[in-house]
Amino acid sequence: MSTADTQTGTLDTLPKSIEETLKTLEIQFEEIRFAVRSDVSSSGKYGEEWFVLTDVAIFTVTGTGDVLHYFPYESVLGIRAEIVVDAGILVLETQEGTVDLIRYSNSCAAKFGFVAKFIGDEIEYRNGKRDEAPIWDYKIEDHSCNTCGLSLADEFSPCPACTKKHRIMLRILSYMRPYRGKALLFVLLVIVGTLISLVPPYFSRILIDDILLLNDAAAPTPDGQTTWLGDIFRTIQPAAMALSIAIGALLATYLIREIFTILQSRLSAWLTLRIAANIRAHVYKHLHNLSIRFFDKRTTGTVISHITEDSERLQDFMLEGLSFLGTELFLLFGIGGMLFWMNWQLACFILIPIPIIIVGGGWFWRKVRSMWHRAWRRRSKLFDVVNDSVSGIRVVRAFGQQRSEVSRFGDANIDTRDHETRAEMIWATYYPPLMFAVQMGSLIVWYVGGLDVIGGGMTLGTLITFNAYLTMFYGPLRYISPLINWASRSMTAAERLFEVIDSQPEQVDDGNLKAMPNILGEVKFRNMTFGYDSHKPVLRDINLHVKPGEMIGLVGHSGAGKSTLIKGKSTLINLICRFYTPDSGKLEIDGEDIRQINLKDLRRQIGVVLQEPYLFSGTIAENISYAHPDATMEEIITAAKAANAHEFIIKFPDGYDTEVGERGGSLSGGERQRISIARAILHNPRILILDEATSSVDVETEKKIQQAIDRLVQNRTTFAIAHRLSTLRNADRLFVIEKGKGVECGSHEELMKKKGIYYKLVETQREAANVRAEAQIVER
Amino acid sequence: MQSKNTEKQDKFSQNEADRSETEEQNGFTHRYLEASTLTFTRSQVGTARLEICNEVCHLRVVVRRLMPLSHPEKYISIAADEETEIGILVNPSELKPESLIILNEELDKRYFTPRIQKIYRVKEQFGVHEWEVETERGRATFLVRGLNQNIKQTPPARLFITDVRGNRYDIPDYRELDAQSFHQIQRQRHL
Repeated sequence: MSTADTQTGTLDTLPKSIEETLKTLEIQFEEIRFAVRSDVSSSGKYGEEWFVLTDVAIFTVTGTGDVLHYFPYESVLGIRAEIVVDAGILVLETQEGTVDLIRYSNSCAAKFGFVAKFIGDEIEYRNGKRDEAPIWDYKIEDHSCNTCGLSLADEFSPCPACTKKHRIMLRILSYMRPYRGKALLFVLLVIVGTLISLVPPYFSRILIDDILLLNDAAAPTPDGQTTWLGDIFRTIQPAAMALSIAIGALLATYLIREIFTILQSRLSAWLTLRIAANIRAHVYKHLHNLSIRFFDKRTTGTVISHITEDSERLQDFMLEGLSFLGTELFLLFGIGGMLFWMNWQLACFILIPIPIIIVGGGWFWRKVRSMWHRAWRRRSKLFDVVNDSVSGIRVVRAFGQQRSEVSRFGDANIDTRDHETRAEMIWATYYPPLMFAVQMGSLIVWYVGGLDVIGGGMTLGTLITFNAYLTMFYGPLRYISPLINWASRSMTAAERLFEVIDSQPEQVDDGNLKAMPNILGEVKFRNMTFGYDSHKPVLRDINLHVKPGEMIGLVGHSGAGKSTLIKGKSTLINLICRFYTPDSGKLEIDGEDIRQINLKDLRRQIGVVLQEPYLFSGTIAENISYAHPDATMEEIITAAKAANAHEFIIKFPDGYDTEVGERGGSLSGGERQRISIARAILHNPRILILDEATSSVDVETEKKIQQAIDRLVQNRTTFAIAHRLSTLRNADRLFVIEKGKGVECGSHEELMKKKGIYYKLVETQREAANVRAEAQIVER
Repeated sequence: MQSKNTEKQDKFSQNEADRSETEEQNGFTHRYLEASTLTFTRSQVGTARLEICNEVCHLRVVVRRLMPLSHPEKYISIAADEETEIGILVNPSELKPESLIILNEELDKRYFTPRIQKIYRVKEQFGVHEWEVETERGRATFLVRGLNQNIKQTPPARLFITDVRGNRYDIPDYRELDAQSFHQIQRQRHL
């Protein structure tokens, strides 16, 4: 048998020494087809072990070359990758019994899953159950950055290493482009506003040196230090007049500064809220273009938090943090410059406490943050306890567990109290010393500057002004550390938002796809295989030809491996809607490969009635006309009548204008289902998918729903999934899926005659129904 | 047959004394296996076989812990395959020593979750944390993304850490870690 054509690449490279050892064995083989390395030894310790596939046999070898197992192909009956808790085992069925061939951690699960699939196919091929030899086309599904190789969360994530934080800042700012003029104005306001803030201390110097002290002993200005403005004030007589003018000027300065603050804050709010809203809109719009795979890979919660929490965090920071950071930084440099300009020797002294403030402050904020975090965690746990017992209050009462619930709360409460106390105490203990360090700076200035004033080197006014600036200087320094932290967290939030924006959208119509405005509804599966992870096929080699207007019931064993089968059935739906595309084989609609059909056309002609009908908040009429907002009231009523929904809708006080509330919470299950059927009828699709439309409703409602469905499926190609086989009595043909493969297909009668899997299913359900019926009789 | 598992160690074994080995009432069966009647052996190819004295021999058994976290050494469910449970063994320590070894080997195969004994280093780079730890299965280095989602805490102080490849690591009680290891976690996540 030629094997060369099946080998497209080795996975791991078998060390030469092991290869040599294998060649010395009594089993002769021509070539090693591939070798796969495991990271766990058979003793259960981390280590190296090899699975080697040759043209004649399967080997497992230790890292030192000792052969653990070998099995010729002829002795192998089957193989599977068994999933155990946090690891896997490759299990071989042989003529000598079941063998645990090799163990591996989850890191290797994907490749061994692929090995099992490959060998399973190979055995089938050798036994003549399969026409083509399997192809070794394993792709490592490990997502790493193309540029730097860093491992990434999934194929949608941008590389965090290659998207630098400052680049994110620039990206945020790029949203400012439409408001360029206003942004420039904002920067100007910040600059001018800061400059104005520098004026009042300067005036106090004039007040002291050139007005107040001038009358006193006619003190000459030391070293002739004076300013042109000071000289002007000196000439004004009487001094009271000069004082009034100076105070008036000071008043004007304060007023102007406040006006600037108002303008600046208003503009900042206007700008940042617009940027945040634009980012949010961009993310949300992009979200609707993303493929379903993106959503399947994440929980709804994560996606929602992207749009709500992350954008809120970003907005908060931009609104308050950004302008705060901007002005404070500008102030810091402005005042720093001012201080050095006034008296650079003295300014050098004020630098002494700065390292203490920055280092100590950094340490302090880290400590406080950690403590707060811990306290916050306790608090949220406390809320969980409350939420838990209040939502379950009936259960608590019914089982008489009030006391234990109270004590559970008590424990959590005390835990929260202790942690919050600790956090508050840390704050109380370490904040004053930090402030003390700041005070030290002004003490130094008083002392050194005081000596200078006594020695006549500096005026009293200069010293006081200096100190006033100093207070303004240390202010921003105190907050610089938490601010940077805040900024960094907001950048992370921004990063997550951009992650959504940067994710690849679903393949949309690029003009090459075929427009199909009128689908007939012929669906053909040809040798189609698909799995969400390509090494774990959920559906294998599906072949099915559905004629237009035909109703196909999808049946799967319920019981053993139920979840995977349901997955198998709903996977079929995911494929028909083209949320996913087949891994191999073809899915054709009206003879056209589904990948080639214009998505809009396709989805417009597919209708879905789901097990959990999803209603949007809005009125009943709006929900029925969801896909066709321009439908007339007559059309809506016709659809509702056909769906047997009209009769209960008219009983509501608000009729068709009844608000269904969040997720249709105010309606019963049966009512929701009939509304969703009406929605599907109005949508008038060519291909219809029904997912167990009658469940958890009483017999009367079930009859009504069944009737509605019968009207709905007429003249449409329909795929119906049901757990209860009775629901499928109208199906033209039933397609039985077992272990991902289509095993039987035919009408109810044909399959019953065949006495195969379907027959067994019907029998089991009949028995179960009898048991239920008996139970009901007993209950009565 | 009356069970001899009468020791009262915790609330789960309190009514063992009056529990028959096989109960068949209300239409369901559950069976407690008598340790002295069980013999585990290994076949030539290494499959775990279970022989129940005077009864049957199961060629390959699937063993599961009923309470893998709180009582990993007790309450073992023994099944003939993934679906069919043969019975429950309350206290495996009563097995013959050779049988106990095989049972423990099988349990070890099914429950891989390495327990972290020492944390050498946790290094963060772009939101991905690289952990270097010592486990009872040997030294391991793994990557964790998003510490908040991937470290699960169960009361009182157990931590499960899930790495990017889907492996889970267990810290049964972080308070019992040495100071340096504890500090490594504490630095990344505030417990």
